[in-house]
This record gives sequence, C-alpha cells and structure tokens, in this order.
Amino acid sequence: MLASLASGPKHGHAMLDDIAAMCGTRLGPGTLYGAIARLEQQGWIEPLAPEERRQPYQITAAGLQVLRARLTTLARFAKAGLRRLEPL
Amino acid sequence: MNRGTARIVTRIYPRAWRGRYAEEFTYFLEEEHRGMRAILNVVRAAMWERIFPTVGGRMEQNIYSFGSMLKKPSAFLPLAMSVGALATVAIAAIVAAQHGGHLGGQKDEGTAAHMWQLLMTVQVPIVLWFAANWLRRAPRASFGVLALQAGAWVASLAPVYLLHL
Repeated sequence: MLASLASGPKHGHAMLDDIAAMCGTRLGPGTLYGAIARLEQQGWIEPLAPEERRQPYQITAAGLQVLRARLTTLARFAKAGLRRLEPL
Repeated sequence: MNRGTARIVTRIYPRAWRGRYAEEFTYFLEEEHRGMRAILNVVRAAMWERIFPTVGGRMEQNIYSFGSMLKKPSAFLPLAMSVGALATVAIAAIVAAQHGGHLGGQKDEGTAAHMWQLLMTVQVPIVLWFAANWLRRAPRASFGVLALQAGAWVASLAPVYLLHL
C-alpha cells in the first residue's frame, strides 16, 4: 500500500487496482481498510479532503522513509538470494 | 454491494473504528462488486478488529469534525455574511445617530439597507448548498454548522425587525 501511494494520493479502489497491477493480488475490502487504519495509526499515511464520498490518502514523509528502508532490505535480500542461485 | 448490506457489515466493526471509518468504508463497499467474497472478507476483518483493535495515533482524528466542517467555504461564508450584515446595520445606525436622524425614517432605503438585503439573501443558496452536500455525509457536524448559520442569520435580522428599520 505504501508503494502504491508512493506514486501519488489514491482512494480505496484506485489503491486496490494499483496493488493488483503491481503484485497480481486483489485485496479484499476488509483487508484494505484494516491496513489503512493501521498505516494511518502509525502516521505513515494520512487522509486528504474527501472527493465526493471517496476518501483519498497520501503517504507521509515518515511513510516514505519506512518504504525506502523496507524496499532497500528487500532488494538486498533478493540480490543475495539470486546470487546463491547462480551456480545451480 | 448494496447500501443496506454495506451498512450491516460495517456495523460488525467496533464503535471506535466505525466512528473514524464507517462513512468512507460504507461508500467504498457500495462500489465493491465481488459479492459474497467481499462480505466474508469484511466480516473476517471486522472480527479481527474486535480482537485486535486499531487504537491511538490518528485513530481519533475526525475529518468530519465541527471544526473541519466550519473551514469549508460554504460553512463560513454565510456566517461572514451575517456578521457583515449585522455590522452594516450597526454602522448605519451609528452614522444616523451622529447626524441626529433615525435610520428607519428615510424615504429611500439607502446603500446600507441594500447591502444588508444582499448579504442576507445571497447566503441562503450557499446554506442550502452546504446542507445538500454535507448533511448526509456528516449529519452531526453539519447540524452544528447549520444551527450556527441560522443563529447568525436571526441575529442579523433581529435588530432590523425589533427597531422597525
């Protein structure tokens, strides 16, 4: 979700579509809003002014920092794993 | 998902969660078209929320609070217009008193009266627009703002009525 919001503010359905395009999994509405509540509680995302009845969210500076750190760790992990596969 | 089902499944969530997310979540569910699968997902997430509630942080932040509603142009403009109308009457009365006259005794209504009428009339469609837009989405805060707007409107009308201006 943080990676999805990194490209700009989105409301719920836009996030679902974006996440489905990125990783091929479409989250359920309860799963999505569970994550929204927890990310907002952490201060990693924040709500913007509602558009009609849709509620857009944007990533915060703290959220970007966390996302960058997690993606760096994942990239390092993926690189190390692929290197080990090379001799096989 | 139809509105009734969306509201029913949203009610499974704890009160604190609903207080923050029910409005947007219900609308989100109304646009969800995965039927039973979506309902089961929501029920599972709501039960999980009851066991491990999301608390603290921005959870208590209410984006539809009275304060945030009051910042909307359609909320504060009518209030400003009422205050302006009241100020117009007060200034006109002071000026008339200084010149030894009576404000209500003029043949022509004068600029002050036209300004007062304009300010009192123009705000009515703005108030109606505010009510149409926000009353359903945030009833409690909207009622508060509408009450304030009505109070300010009556307060601006009162001196004109009581002093027969």
